[in-house]
Amino acid sequence: MLDRRGFLKVSGATAFAALFGGCERLPKKIVPFVIPPENHVLGESLWYASVCRQCPAGCGIVVRNSEGRAKKIEGNPLHPVNRGKLCARGQAGLQALYHPERLGKPLRLDGPRGSGKFREVTWEEALRLLLAGLADVRAEAPSSLLMLTDPMRGHRNLVAARFMKAFGSPHRLAWDPFGQDAHLSANESVYGVRDLPEHDIAGTRYLLSFSGDFLETGLSPVHFGYAYGMMRGASPTVRGKFVHFGPRLSMTAASADAFLPVAPGTEGMAALGIAHVMVKEQLTPAAAAAAALWDAGLKDVPPGVVEEKTGVPAADIAAVAREFASNQPGLAMAGDAAASCTNGVFNLSCVGLLNVLAGNVGKPGGISFPRRLAIFARYEAEAALLLPPAVSGYPAVRDAVEGMQNGAFRMALISGATNPAFTLPASLRFGDSLLKVPTIVSFASFLDETTSLSDLVLPVPTYLEEWEDDVPPVGHAGEAVALGQPVVEAFRDTRAMPDILIAAAKELGGPVAAALPWNSFRECLDKAYAGMGIDIEAAYRSGGIFSGIPETGGKAPKAGSPALPEAAEASFAGDPARYPLVLHVYPSIAHFDGRGANLPWLQELPDPLVTAVWRNWVEVGPKTAAALGLSDGDAVTVESPFGSLQAFVFLHPAIAEGVAAMPLGQGHSRYGRFAADRGGNPYALLPASMEGVTNAPARQSTRVSIARTKVKGALVRTVHPEGQWLYENIL
Amino acid sequence: MKRDPLAAIAAALLAAALLLPADSAAAPLEQPIRYSHKVHVTDYKLDCRFCHVNATKSAYAGIPSVAKCMMCHRVIATDRPEIRKLAQYWKEKKPIPWFRVTELQEYTYFPHFRMVTYGKVPCLTCHPGIDKDDIAVQRQEFSMGWCLTCHRGRGVSIDCWTCHI
Repeated sequence: MLDRRGFLKVSGATAFAALFGGCERLPKKIVPFVIPPENHVLGESLWYASVCRQCPAGCGIVVRNSEGRAKKIEGNPLHPVNRGKLCARGQAGLQALYHPERLGKPLRLDGPRGSGKFREVTWEEALRLLLAGLADVRAEAPSSLLMLTDPMRGHRNLVAARFMKAFGSPHRLAWDPFGQDAHLSANESVYGVRDLPEHDIAGTRYLLSFSGDFLETGLSPVHFGYAYGMMRGASPTVRGKFVHFGPRLSMTAASADAFLPVAPGTEGMAALGIAHVMVKEQLTPAAAAAAALWDAGLKDVPPGVVEEKTGVPAADIAAVAREFASNQPGLAMAGDAAASCTNGVFNLSCVGLLNVLAGNVGKPGGISFPRRLAIFARYEAEAALLLPPAVSGYPAVRDAVEGMQNGAFRMALISGATNPAFTLPASLRFGDSLLKVPTIVSFASFLDETTSLSDLVLPVPTYLEEWEDDVPPVGHAGEAVALGQPVVEAFRDTRAMPDILIAAAKELGGPVAAALPWNSFRECLDKAYAGMGIDIEAAYRSGGIFSGIPETGGKAPKAGSPALPEAAEASFAGDPARYPLVLHVYPSIAHFDGRGANLPWLQELPDPLVTAVWRNWVEVGPKTAAALGLSDGDAVTVESPFGSLQAFVFLHPAIAEGVAAMPLGQGHSRYGRFAADRGGNPYALLPASMEGVTNAPARQSTRVSIARTKVKGALVRTVHPEGQWLYENIL
Repeated sequence: MKRDPLAAIAAALLAAALLLPADSAAAPLEQPIRYSHKVHVTDYKLDCRFCHVNATKSAYAGIPSVAKCMMCHRVIATDRPEIRKLAQYWKEKKPIPWFRVTELQEYTYFPHFRMVTYGKVPCLTCHPGIDKDDIAVQRQEFSMGWCLTCHRGRGVSIDCWTCHI
């Protein structure tokens, strides 16, 4: 008989056998190379130096390659911009390389135009189509060819620009949503130099930032992050002080000793208040000598007036002015949010004025203007093509959109990560206009909102598989030229855009072929640097040329005190009664202008302040939220006069009241599965308005309303915004 | 002692469950190409390191690339069915998906180059009989005691972290 004990034994043994019977060792595969890579030793890594292209900063990278695969990206210690450091976006470049949605075959439209439906074709067919299109346009109306790219630098830009010039079309545009137009214009009026200066953050003792989120996005975040660390910790005696003015507590603001929230677009006014105190109390020699400024109108902006406009208490303005003046060298800098108001140049000029009053122009710990193109002197007029001014190109893009609608273009060549159909204000209707161009050819690694409108998509390598050279816009004393090389063999059947242009030029013949007299882009680079007497092999090994470039001195800023910037107030579209809040948009630390949104590593990177992942949100202050009856985590509709989207409320404990802030970068509709369904696109809320002086895009120029709605799901955050110690528990 | 027959059945089941997989792992694997170590090493006297080049300079001995095989088999024995298979892989530029025969536990660091280049340990010490195999099998179980016997005998390090790093 089977007793209870026997039954348990049998059932136990059967369960054991059932559980572990399946655990036999499956044979593992061990797969050799077909052809091993050169210099390959199994289990040993090779490091290749190259250039990062995840944002326009141009950091140097070194990539660990083992068994022929790129495994890790780090900063290049020899590169003066980032000195061995690298940000999260740079690290995530590997996912662009291995991305499952990368294009590996040329695509030809297979459906209605703009549908984004394609079929794969061979390179022979694709190049035949491209050449036939180019030959037709050239024969009939060369100036109806449009080339719209992201801002390119180095010889890649030289090839593109020469191609267009020899082709006979003046329509070579580069679109950069975060162009530095207002900075260049303000620097010209304040310092007399139309260029980007070097900010010696490392050597300063007192740093004033006006909406400059320089540690997270901005012009060169890794460079500034390194310098900021030096300012705070490198001196044994003085720890530099950092005061931040801005509409919201960004990660940079959270690193400051003091954060003073200002109303959007009043950064310049806050700076003027500081200048007023400096001149009135004659706190520095330069301020004491600036009586002209005082009479020109500086006397009319005492801290009390500034308080009314900006919301910063008058006592704080005066205290900051005195501290700034007595802790020299001091440095004032402004960032994108101050620049992209309708009064951007006014804001930046006022901030520049502080540098002049502090007397730090051209001094250590202040700002200087290096001569960055000394190495390319032999190119003469063309030298500027190797480091074109970092402008947005917005006025030209607007003209081009008009031209598209009027049928001025017969063919468009599109390239680059700035994705105009996504990053231009929706009210400009870029996508619809582009589709009026009869032939659209894209050079792309991924399909996105812009490239999916094409008739033909030519797959290009990622920046980790391409030859290139680059001149970083800031972060070096004019001595750095970075060189990029493929760190792995090309993964897909791709061809680099300069190589395609060179090949196309050969076929077109005549002056176009003569303008690009090389067989490949690699040959172009090799010949160019050999002509400068540079050992290019050694330069590729170290990631660029970082020394030995003749120092011919920077451009000298003009002497004396500048004129008082012409007063301008920021304007915001929308009726304040209908749209009570001012919209403040900022580039996301993870996705920048939106290009990183298809990389899962960046999607799962928690925002440093909000800690949210995989979605976007809208930040409002506690008082504003209480007035609107909103609480943390509520689903809302954010509506501007130009569009609306749905988002979740993040109750930001440190944001100027009356402001709603949103990160840019999410909200893609055609950028692959990882970027899809991540909330609305905040660019769609923006007006097509322009900065008053430079006509750069004025992103901070609309009002919005927020109303509660129903949205499926919730904002995923790692911790509560108040941290693990909720305010109610400590207070 | 009276034994419950059911308990005996349970014990047999248990033993079968535990032992069978171990047996099957030792059986020769059906490789994509019937490569014979015997032909190459015993008959034609090729040095192991001719194919396993990385053994002298890397932690891993490695498997020769298809290109390496084709160095000789472009001209040698090209009419044999197994070589034709090899040539097909080469033609399609595809790697050969070999099954792994010899494996060390992943918590153990075994640098081939240290044994081969500096210790001058013959390959057959750890891979006995593989030179006579038409289909390679792992004959030596890599237990810690077996490793230590050799390490003690040669007077080399027996510190834990020599192998378990």
